[in-house]
Amino acid sequence: MIKITELEKFYRTEEVETIALNKLSMHVDTGEFVAIMGPSGCGKSTLLNILGMLDDPDEGSYVFNGIEVAHFNERKRADLRKHNIGFVFQSFNLIDELTVFENVELPLIYTGVSASERVKRVEEVLDKMQIMHRRNHYPQQLSGGQQQRVAIARAVVNKPKLILADEPTGNLDSSNGNDVMELLTDLNEQGTTIIMVTHSEHDARYSHRIIRLLDGQTVMENIMV
Amino acid sequence: MFKNYLKITWRNLLKNKSFTIINIAGLAVGMASAALILFWVQNEASYDQFHEKKDRLYQMYNRSKIEGEIWAWGNTPKPMMAALKQNYPQVEQAARILRANFLFTIGDKHLTLPGSFTDPDFLTMFSFPLIHGNPKTALNDMKSIVLTEKTAIKLFGNTNALGKTVKIDSVDYFTVSGVMKDLPNNTRFGFEYLMTWKYWEKTNGGVDKNWGNNSVATYVVLRPGVTETYFDKQVKNITRSQSEVKDIDVFAHPASKWRLYSKFENGQIVGGRITTIKLFSIIAVFILLIACINFMNLSTARSEKRAKEVGIRKVVGAGKGSLIAQFMGESVMIALLAGIVALIIVYIFLPPFNTLTEKQLFIPFASPVFWLIVVTFILFTGVLSGSYPALYLSSFAPVKVLKGTFKAANAVFSPRKILVVTQFTFAIVLIISTIIVREQLDYAQNRDVGYKKNNLAYTFMQGNIEKNYQLIRNELLTSGAASAVTKTSAPMTEGWSDSWGFSWQGKDPNTKIDFNMFNVDGDFSKTMNLKIIDGRDIDIKNYPSDSSAILINQASLKLMKFKNPIGQTVMNGDRKLTIVGVVKDFILQSPYEPVKQMIIQGPSAWFNVIHYKLNEKNTTAENLKLAEAVFKKYNSEYPFEYHFVDEEYNKKFADEQRVGTLASLFAGLTIFISCLGLFGLATYMAQNRIKEIGVRKVLGASVLGVTTMLSKDFLKLVGIAFLVATPIAWYSMEHWLQTYSYRVNISVWVFAIAAFVTTLLSIVTVSFQAVKAALANPVKSLRSE
Ligand SMILES: Nc1ncnc2c1ncn2[C@@H]1O[C@H](COP(=O)(O)OP(=O)(O)OP(=O)(O)O)[C@@H](O)[C@H]1O
Ligand SMILES: [Mg+2]
Repeated sequence: MIKITELEKFYRTEEVETIALNKLSMHVDTGEFVAIMGPSGCGKSTLLNILGMLDDPDEGSYVFNGIEVAHFNERKRADLRKHNIGFVFQSFNLIDELTVFENVELPLIYTGVSASERVKRVEEVLDKMQIMHRRNHYPQQLSGGQQQRVAIARAVVNKPKLILADEPTGNLDSSNGNDVMELLTDLNEQGTTIIMVTHSEHDARYSHRIIRLLDGQTVMENIMV
Repeated sequence: MFKNYLKITWRNLLKNKSFTIINIAGLAVGMASAALILFWVQNEASYDQFHEKKDRLYQMYNRSKIEGEIWAWGNTPKPMMAALKQNYPQVEQAARILRANFLFTIGDKHLTLPGSFTDPDFLTMFSFPLIHGNPKTALNDMKSIVLTEKTAIKLFGNTNALGKTVKIDSVDYFTVSGVMKDLPNNTRFGFEYLMTWKYWEKTNGGVDKNWGNNSVATYVVLRPGVTETYFDKQVKNITRSQSEVKDIDVFAHPASKWRLYSKFENGQIVGGRITTIKLFSIIAVFILLIACINFMNLSTARSEKRAKEVGIRKVVGAGKGSLIAQFMGESVMIALLAGIVALIIVYIFLPPFNTLTEKQLFIPFASPVFWLIVVTFILFTGVLSGSYPALYLSSFAPVKVLKGTFKAANAVFSPRKILVVTQFTFAIVLIISTIIVREQLDYAQNRDVGYKKNNLAYTFMQGNIEKNYQLIRNELLTSGAASAVTKTSAPMTEGWSDSWGFSWQGKDPNTKIDFNMFNVDGDFSKTMNLKIIDGRDIDIKNYPSDSSAILINQASLKLMKFKNPIGQTVMNGDRKLTIVGVVKDFILQSPYEPVKQMIIQGPSAWFNVIHYKLNEKNTTAENLKLAEAVFKKYNSEYPFEYHFVDEEYNKKFADEQRVGTLASLFAGLTIFISCLGLFGLATYMAQNRIKEIGVRKVLGASVLGVTTMLSKDFLKLVGIAFLVATPIAWYSMEHWLQTYSYRVNISVWVFAIAAFVTTLLSIVTVSFQAVKAALANPVKSLRSE
């Protein structure tokens, strides 16, 4: 599903040039659950943002579902993204002015799903995430674990083929964290490809494969059994 | 999707109440001001544009060289009308018009009303519809009269006056031959009735064949297809071909230019009211722009708050286009709310605005065009004010925003700085201009008029006043109402007559020099308290030969260059006049111009006004009561009407006063809107830096220190605005002052005052928020993060 070759990403400030990704190559197959690990600042988030087409690489190739996307413009990327990729962030990133229901509904609005269909699908995922009873609450009225479940609901409501999660349990206690990992595992079992950045060996164990990064390069891949 | 936007917009508005109120208030005030100005502009632009024949309608103008300069004016000789109709096939219709002022009597009701004499064509040339009567024939019979509805109601109590009789000036009976719809608020005409030219001729010695006397306005309707240029070529020599007057060109001034383009320089149109219209249109646009800038500033200042929303929306699939649409939608919604408030403001403030501008503007609620304009106006404002924030906000890169590296609002970033500077530049320009307009007004008002205006009154000589002048004069004096009385050709504040027919020894016979003309009886200098510099006043009692005596003013003396003016001869055509005195220059016409050369003739001539100096020993009310008794005794049919010279003189400043008041008003509004915006910005700044302030206070910063720190940035911007505004204001006001010969010099003080006022206002505005932020308990603000 994903194949990147010799991907490079630089950050230039006035004095220094940081190489966030250094000729990085890797691939992810459809249906895989991959964890990305590494020390702080090694380029994990940068990689995830590029994979999610939120950012573009400076050099190298990125083939998504057989299409070369490295040099797509913002509009094409947005189009591809909204139909194929769901995001989960460490800090949830829900819109404070919208209710749980409206937050989850948002991706469907942008992909042009009809109103009645939207209600059906949002209710379906809220039910699955067990936060149906909170549908009319605002994010500030929820606990961290509940907020992350809303965020996951939002990420999956469009039935994306790929979910990118950047430290999804980073702001949660271990019990809530495990719940989230269970949810992701369920989704993976139903066929969604998942790429997750994490600092926790515990969480990484839910995945099939761990990719370890150091200074923007792959150092090792562990296959989980 | 639309519903979703609407929802989030609405919640945003409710959640940020102060932001919403500031935005809506600013925009509403801006829109209302712009709307008032546009109403006024629309009214000005529509003057006399409702006549069906307006494209063929012209006023005849003269053009001639006087004192080396080419002048153009719209008064024409009376015989021109007939000559145009007879000899110029291009002319379809023509009519003269001349002011009239008559006493109307119905039963024992007496009323003096202003009206006009005109020719029969008038009613079919102009679109002033008759509700009763036939416009084609209404002015055919000598003693017929057309009344406006208003006049008909005044005289008869209703508009159904056709065929009724009115007595005019206690001499003649007229039959009402038409009742006209009241004149609209956008016409140059102001008559309340129309009388026939035939009647004028009957009462003024028959048909006037004099081509040298320019005293009526002549209007024509040209045949379809005749162009202005062609007609101008044909009509140029009309006066030359018909008379002995050889130095006058004639041309036609089209109806489309009457109101806005009637200022001539060197015989050519150089503008006119259009200048004021343009000026105020610019002000309207700028006020609206300033209000929009507020919106832009406040929206972008909130960008840190909105950034996260933008990032998330992009991550879940929003394109740039849909975000732009969302933010545009928000600003259009705010503009809509502001538009509603603005409409209410306009509704409330239209009556005082009408008083101020002397107009009868109204909101045309029933007109679909009006609503179409309103909607366009709101959309325009919404899109204009939303454009920058929409582009700015929608361009956020989600990666940065969500990572939290996005920190735009802490620094007052540049585009916003530019916007604040723009706002304040405009506000300061208006403040400086207002001060200068007021200074100029003061300066001109304090100019020495040359005589004493106080306690000086006058009455027009109507009915039997002229016949009984001596009796009235004596009785005014003996009754103690007045201390001096004289009769003159015109009020002291108006130049009614001028002439270039004078010659004297040493005059270059090839130049035409125009003199103001004034006729007086004896006691002129005594009544006016006018200083005689050389010689004596005209005094027919003691010097019977004074019927050919004249007084000249200092300006004339300078021009005539007489060493010993007294006893010198001045010829008026072949009439010999003798100078008996030189009077101090006094202001007859414009207080902004140098006093023009003037010749004051003795008692042989034309009189219209009786001036009387009220007795200083009595109160004004007592004097007027005594005077009324005298006038009533000798002129019983007419109501006693009087004018005070100082009041009339003050009317000369009405235009400048109005400009001054409007300028102050709009300067005030602009500074209000700008400060409102500054207040909003300061609020956001204080909110955004609340944590920083907390940390600083924990580390020992004082309240004053924090306040200064927060206010400094804004004051710097106001300072820059001042630097930009100064040359602009100086340049444009210098330009404005050029139109006055008698004018103030722009002093540094004006700028100092403007700087002080603006700085003070902005300090008050900003420091309110800054102090509040500085006083906040740091523990609280740090915990809230
Ligand atoms: N906008 C930026 N400008 C400059 N340098 C950046 C920027 N974003 C990231 N970097 C640099 O790129 C490198 C990789 O950053 P990245 O955020 O991908 O790290 P990470 O592996 O996600 O770290 P963490 O585990 O702490 O989240 C770092 O050295 C960082 O300093
Ligand atoms: Mg990271």
